This record gives sequence, structure tokens and C-alpha cells, in this order.
Amino acid sequence: MSSLQGYVDHRVLLVLQDGRSIVGVLAGFDQKANVVLSDSKERVYSLEEGVEEIPLGLYLVKGDMIVLIGEIDDAVDSSVDLSTIRAEPIPPIRY
Amino acid sequence: MLPLSLLSAAQNKPMLVELKNGETFNGHLVNCDNFMNITLREVYQTSADGDRFWKLKECYIRGSTIKYLRVPDQLLDVVKEDQLRAREANRTTRGGPPGRGGRGAPPRGRGAPRAAPRGGGRGRGRG
Amino acid sequence: MLIFSVFKTLTDQQVTVELKNDLSITGVLKSVDQFLNIRLDSITVLDEARHPHMMAVKNCFIRGSVVRYVQLPAEHVDTQLLEDATRRGKMH
Repeated sequence: MSSLQGYVDHRVLLVLQDGRSIVGVLAGFDQKANVVLSDSKERVYSLEEGVEEIPLGLYLVKGDMIVLIGEIDDAVDSSVDLSTIRAEPIPPIRY
Repeated sequence: MLPLSLLSAAQNKPMLVELKNGETFNGHLVNCDNFMNITLREVYQTSADGDRFWKLKECYIRGSTIKYLRVPDQLLDVVKEDQLRAREANRTTRGGPPGRGGRGAPPRGRGAPRAAPRGGGRGRGRG
Repeated sequence: MLIFSVFKTLTDQQVTVELKNDLSITGVLKSVDQFLNIRLDSITVLDEARHPHMMAVKNCFIRGSVVRYVQLPAEHVDTQLLEDATRRGKMH
């Protein structure tokens, strides 16, 4: 689990089992990969319109729900105009 | 910063809890434990589809059924300050002037830092 | 535990991880832990046009429990050794 240490205080993308994508600053984590995200926003993807960002604030996400945590390259991220992106949401996990 | 420190600092604060089945609970945190089992008071429960509501005086939620919790933004600073203060207290109670532990007082020596109860003063770093 | 050891021998190799949400991510394996959680560097997502969600992500942590397959570089897996170890029931 030590591999999450490098992401602390960085902006990350969290993909959850129900398919949601959340971006925020990784404020902390524990052995079970429970994570704390500050200043977090959900990114809602759809084919009909651009990406909508919904502010969520301070979030504590259970480790069981997590699919992936990615470190965001801020330069790349800020160069993307989210309103132009059309995409299906990430599918939920199916066992 | 550990998720559980944030949660315990959220006692008596309002929060939103979503369960894995999509139901949400809005209420004030009464208590929590290491499994993230929690009790809330003055609760508004919402069904997964969002069209039914219930008001509960108090409820208990098993930690393993929780998807996420949303807590007030200000808590982050509160917890960070608490940790700084705990670290500071830890350092001053270790005795002697703030310079380097070790060597100094033979009777204390090694065991001493262990005795400090909370806040993981040692490893982990960060906060 | 055997598979954990195998993954450890594959660090710094390129692998493709298929997740249970049908996402496929290719990247350099940086680390793995006892839950088979995986750290990947220099990642690309298969069919990026359909999945632009990770455009700005270059390295990631994947939870072991959501991995469906990992495609390994055949030339870096000693299958003979693996078979022997499997028969013995342990490695090293």
C-alpha cells in the first residue's frame, strides 16, 4: 500500500466501482486503501453534452469502492477543455 | 492524514453517507469505530432512486456497507492543526531541550518515545 | 504468494491490465503488493477515443480485486520454473 504515499498532496483521479470519476487532492489514506480527498469534484461524462464537474468538497471514500487512483498531470489536465469532451461514463465493475 | 482521524474529528458534525446500495443518510455523527461503523443522529434517509425519504432520530450504519462519506471542508484544517499540535506536544514531553533525542538521558533512552500514546509520532511522516 | 513473486520479477516490464469494468490499461509495472494491487507508470488506455477519462493520468494505482487479466511479456516469464514451483507449492 506504500505505493499510494507518492500521491499524497497531489491531484488524483479516483475511479469507483460504480463507474464514477472523482478528481481531488489526496489528503491521506490507510492500509485498506480508504482515502481522503480534499477539494474534490465528480466528473460526469455523457455522449450528449460536455463533461460536467460537480463540487463535492471533502470526501472519505472506502477502499472497497476503489478501482483505480491515477496521478493527474496538471499541465495536461488544464489544457483540456472538458466542455468539448463527449464520452460514455466508465462502466461499473461486474464480477 | 489517516481517514479514521478525519472521521473521529467529525464527531457532532453534519455529514452525508452513501451506502453501496445507493441509499444516503444525512445526519450528525454521534460516534464511530475503527471499522467505520458509525451512529448518526437527526437523520434524513433517502432511497437509492432519490424519491423516498425517512426521518430517523438515530441510526447505526455498519462500516462495511458504506461507499463514501462527505464531511465539512473545514475539518481538514482542524485535523491538520491537531496533528501539528500533537507532534509539538510529543516533542516537548520527550524531555530536555528540543535538540535531538537519544544520547542525553540514559534512564529514558530508547523506550521513551514508544510511551507517547497517540498520533503516530514516529514513522509515516506527512500528515 | 507464488503469483506475487512472479509479479515482483516482472517489475519494470510492460504489461496490460484488463479491469472488471472492461478498461484495458498498458503501462510499465512499477510495484505490486500482497493484495496484487498494481502500480503502473507511463500508462495508455486501450481505445483512448472512447475512454478519454484518463487523458491526464500518466501513472496509477490499481486495486488488485478489480483486475480481470494481466497480459505478461512471455519472454520474461520462466514458465518451466513456474511449473516446478507450482508443483512444489511454493517459490524460493
